Amino acid sequence: MLELDAVTVRFGGLTALSGISFRIAQGEILGLVGPNGAGKTTLFNSISGLVKARGRISFNGREVTSLPLHKRARAGIGRTFQIPQPMHHLTVRENLAVAQVFGAGRYDEKRIDEILAVMELSHKADADAATALALQELKRLEIAKALATEPKLLLLDEVLAGLESNAKRSFMLKLKELHALFGLTIVIVEHDIETISGLCTRAVVLNFGQLIADGTPAEVFNNPAVVESYTGTAHA
Amino acid sequence: MPVTSNASAQAAPAAASQRGRGALIGAGLLALALLPLVAGASPYMLGLLISALILAGLALSWALLGNLGGMVSFGHAAFFGVGAYGSALLAGKLGVPVLLAIPLGGLIATVFSLAMLPALRLSGPYFALAILAYAQIFRILATELDWLTGGAAGLQRYPGLPTVLGFNLADRAGSYVLVLACVVVFALVYMALRRSHVGTALRAIADSEDATRVVGVNATVLKTWMLLLSAFIAGVFGALNAHIIGFLEPDYAFSGIWSVMPIIAAVFGGYRSVLGPIFGAVVIYLFDQVIAKSLIPVGHQILLGIVLAIMVLLAPNGLSGLVARFLPRLAGRGLSNAEKGHA
Amino acid sequence: MTELILQALFSGVLIGSVYALVALGLALAFGAMRIINLAHGELVLLAAYMAYLVESRTGLDPYFAIPLALVVVAAASFVLFLLVDRIKDHRELNSLILTFAIGIILTNAILLVFASDVRTTASPFLQDAVSLGDLFAMRSEIIAFVLSLVLMGALWWWLKSSWYGRAVRAVSSNRGAAKLMGINPTRIETVSFLVAGALASFAGVALYTMSVVQPATGHALTVKAFIITVLAGVGSIPGVFLGAVLLGVTEALTVTLASSALQELAGMVLFLLVLFLMPNGLFGARARRG
Repeated sequence: MLELDAVTVRFGGLTALSGISFRIAQGEILGLVGPNGAGKTTLFNSISGLVKARGRISFNGREVTSLPLHKRARAGIGRTFQIPQPMHHLTVRENLAVAQVFGAGRYDEKRIDEILAVMELSHKADADAATALALQELKRLEIAKALATEPKLLLLDEVLAGLESNAKRSFMLKLKELHALFGLTIVIVEHDIETISGLCTRAVVLNFGQLIADGTPAEVFNNPAVVESYTGTAHA
Repeated sequence: MPVTSNASAQAAPAAASQRGRGALIGAGLLALALLPLVAGASPYMLGLLISALILAGLALSWALLGNLGGMVSFGHAAFFGVGAYGSALLAGKLGVPVLLAIPLGGLIATVFSLAMLPALRLSGPYFALAILAYAQIFRILATELDWLTGGAAGLQRYPGLPTVLGFNLADRAGSYVLVLACVVVFALVYMALRRSHVGTALRAIADSEDATRVVGVNATVLKTWMLLLSAFIAGVFGALNAHIIGFLEPDYAFSGIWSVMPIIAAVFGGYRSVLGPIFGAVVIYLFDQVIAKSLIPVGHQILLGIVLAIMVLLAPNGLSGLVARFLPRLAGRGLSNAEKGHA
Repeated sequence: MTELILQALFSGVLIGSVYALVALGLALAFGAMRIINLAHGELVLLAAYMAYLVESRTGLDPYFAIPLALVVVAAASFVLFLLVDRIKDHRELNSLILTFAIGIILTNAILLVFASDVRTTASPFLQDAVSLGDLFAMRSEIIAFVLSLVLMGALWWWLKSSWYGRAVRAVSSNRGAAKLMGINPTRIETVSFLVAGALASFAGVALYTMSVVQPATGHALTVKAFIITVLAGVGSIPGVFLGAVLLGVTEALTVTLASSALQELAGMVLFLLVLFLMPNGLFGARARRG
């Protein structure tokens, strides 16, 4: 459903992504792996339209390379930010309402309630999003907001970071539940090998802006180049 | 889920009583606004109040652009003047009925504001000064295109407000009611807009543009609508004013006063609320004309400058912010919620 | 005709050099604090009226007002800085409105004290015409031009080589990093406003000797300074000088070829053209998009 063909992003003289090509099939849960600075967030930014990329990005058979941010959201690409970005000064419910009205083009209060319940935010529905939520709640709001736009593809940027192992396991189950419940295709940025192995059917590894491995989690994590790039960061 | 159902059970009557209180406040204010007619205010006083309400409409239009559109304008005189000239020319040269020419004047201001669309992509001060540049350009055009506008000498022969159903809008009481009605209508439009999803999204854009766009909001289009609406409102009040005072010249219609006064009025009253700019305009205008002018005949605006500076420094949310902060009981949940939106 | 155009170009360059001083003051304050000081033109105007005060009261040459102007305008600039520094929320918008309010206060204070009459120097020596080949200028214009060049050179040298200058540049390019380097931004901002005030003092006195001033001039000067920063960006002194000369020449040519009523229009149109067609300014990169 998503095809990347030689996607390249340069910031001034710095090449953040060079010639990234791969495809994601409907219904996949793909892990995006790589050391810090490898270009994972830049890849998300170029897919969601926050940065301009060269090359070709197609979504559901339609080229979106030069489509503006808001149109990609409406086309069905939802994303979260690593540092949660709630819409400030709006309540949690208003955050979802705006996302739904503009992202999905309709207003359905029942569905908002449903998303709030799934993301365990019902009790904070009328709280101010920016000031009254704890970090983990903000992260759940990030996902809830993206879900409210009724995406087909969901890009999750380190949503599991900072959770202790039990919470992480239950959140992984939550993501699988969302995947089934909303019929999603998911790309998730994650560092933890176990999480990727437990959650994803496939993993793609970036390093220094280049794609260095693509395969099942087991294949990828036994790839010598991947092991090297990873042990490199483990020491850093 | 007991927490949720409990909360919503409380919220429903609270919302109802909030709406009831809102209606009560609205009715009270309207009664207060009509008081001068019943009490038989002097023609001089009514004249002052008419001008204050014209300014209130302009301040409302400025605040709408600032609050919902996130744009500071230093050139609202542009829309005010174009609306005034547009309506006066339609009525005077083409014989369009005045009550039709006034909204058309607003539309002409809207059309002229299309020329400002490139400025929308500019940030804060650049946008503010770009609009100032437009206001200057329009003033100079009104002076130079004398075959159309009468040049520096201005326009005088165009009709005033008509008599409708035996009610003479041209006399002071009639004009007062008409201008008041326009202020009320636009305030209601503004309130409805602010409560809508569009208003909610606009509120979000100001502080979190990327987060808002990434869920599908086209920030540019929404801001454009706010610019067009703001221009329309300012144009309508420019047109109303033109037909009430009966003459136009470029230095008057495009005067910097029409750019400066709405800023002072809206900031004083609280530009993030709907009633703030209206109330602020009435207070500021009467203060300027009645008190400041008698204290300091030339240079009385120094007092307005001081008021503006003090408000920005000590109460940047204006009077409405102060009311919400210090009178929580009187204002109730409604205003404290509103203040949350303000911050 | 060619002579008229050459003369307009010449006059434009001369007045442009003074505009450059005004714009550099605006740019300094912007560089340090990221705010547009909408009262900056009024600070220049204040200096011009100090020149008028000294000349009309003592009969001395207006240049003798420079020490007085320096004290008064630097003090005003300092007070302005203290007030702006108090703003914590919505800094960009509120500082814009605050400096705008201070501009209104200064304009009307000047109106109250000095009345609305148009003022200019009474000195025949300064108003004397001097000729350079076929071109003419008032003596005061030549003096102002030389003074501006000297001040711009001094400012350039100061920003380049003094400790303060380096710190100013550090703060204006990256506030957070400058703090980490042990630079106190408030101190740097204070110095920037004082230097902006000093530049405004010289510009105001020069303007009084070569042109006419009235209370409304202050606002017009702020707008001109802002136009110049749009033309040039706020990055470099030569850039600001070129932008200022471009504005001066455009105005002078408009007056010569069309009418003096259109002088202001020319500046505004130039401003909008550059803003829309060359969003990075004439000479480089500037961020002005939201």
